[in-house]
Amino acid sequence: MTAELPGERPRATPAGDLAGLLAKVARGDETAFAAVYDQVGALVFGLARRVVKDPAQSEEVTQEVLLEVWRSASRFDPVQGSARSWLMTMAHRRAVDRVRSAQASAERDARAAVAATDYDVVVEEVEARLDAQRVRRCLDALTELQRESVTLAYYGGYTYREVAGLLGVAVGTVKTRMRDGLIRMRDCLGAEG
Amino acid sequence: MRLRRSDPHTLAGAYALDALGEADRAAFERHLGGCESCRQEASSLREAAGRLAEATAVTPPARLRGQILAEAARTRQQPPPVAEGQSVPRAWLARPAAPRLAVAVAGMCMLIALGLGALTLTTQQRLRTEEAHSREIAAILNAPDADIMTIRARTHGTATVVMSHTARALVLTTARLPLLPPTECYQVWLMGPPRVRSAGLLPSPHQGMTAPVVVTGLAAGDRMGVIVEPAGGAKHPGTAAVLMLDLPPTG
Repeated sequence: MTAELPGERPRATPAGDLAGLLAKVARGDETAFAAVYDQVGALVFGLARRVVKDPAQSEEVTQEVLLEVWRSASRFDPVQGSARSWLMTMAHRRAVDRVRSAQASAERDARAAVAATDYDVVVEEVEARLDAQRVRRCLDALTELQRESVTLAYYGGYTYREVAGLLGVAVGTVKTRMRDGLIRMRDCLGAEG
Repeated sequence: MRLRRSDPHTLAGAYALDALGEADRAAFERHLGGCESCRQEASSLREAAGRLAEATAVTPPARLRGQILAEAARTRQQPPPVAEGQSVPRAWLARPAAPRLAVAVAGMCMLIALGLGALTLTTQQRLRTEEAHSREIAAILNAPDADIMTIRARTHGTATVVMSHTARALVLTTARLPLLPPTECYQVWLMGPPRVRSAGLLPSPHQGMTAPVVVTGLAAGDRMGVIVEPAGGAKHPGTAAVLMLDLPPTG
């Protein structure tokens, strides 16, 4: 599959360049937009696949997210956070909105069983990459409840109240595990670069 | 469904994971508005959450790239946010070929932007069932290629224009334009290469806003002007223009 996308190396460009590319995209630079796609396409599509599951819908979500990037690149404000974070926030919200829509509710129970535990399974269909390994290593460093809370919400698209229901723990507990878990992720990823 | 008053910042993790329901999220964002350290924490947790996507990256089908780049090439971009207070020189909220949901949302935005509350018409549904004039307006608002523009008048006040390129028509409303003495009126003009022609008079304002006026027969290269003229209107445009707008090319 990689052979069909010459030049794509999502990891090769540092995050700083993404912000620079977005500035060009904001001015209507289609070449810069293609470069943004090459950098983040696999991240957005992979996340959509993970959250939404259905391949066709995942492609739709990917397209929606990238077109939102194209339209609103001028709204990106580096003071508020990194370009990568801005973009992935958009991607995650789109994916989550998709699964929370009424039509998707029937499939939710089916997803519950796998969402918390299969993040390493999905990686098998992915080129093994350093970033993925680092993220998994940091996820493994969480307590089980932290990890389940974080992954059910992020990869499963569940609200913290739903997560509490799925795990059979109090909502207050889930809230704090999500926060503690992300703080630990942040520190772990920061320490590993 | 309520935020614990004692420590709302414990929701920062759930917020960063998009794991809050609508009500919780709205409450937490209000909390963020008044808490700089919470904003910083939420932002840093968002960064961390975003990294989780790195563990699931999957190369998309090759055709998607061409599809998305082609779609972008025919999609209008938003201007950067403008810092100068309330004035919004040009806000393009809808584009040709936008996804259906986006068009529906943009349609609602247009209704709000047009201040149709002044007409006590609150929904597109009701618009559709109103008399011919309203149907004409609704047709333009609902056009898949409708563009919305808000421009500041040279005096004070604003005008909002929703234009359908293919229908060669637009809907114009104004807000807070200076009140005129009874001897004068605001007249809408189309000034283009074909000819200069009147597009009618603005109705008297109601609570500072004028009811929507439909302008049809737009031609390529037209500019639209709103000019102060003697009551009843003029045959030729005067010089006291309160706003001039270069219309986007019609399709």
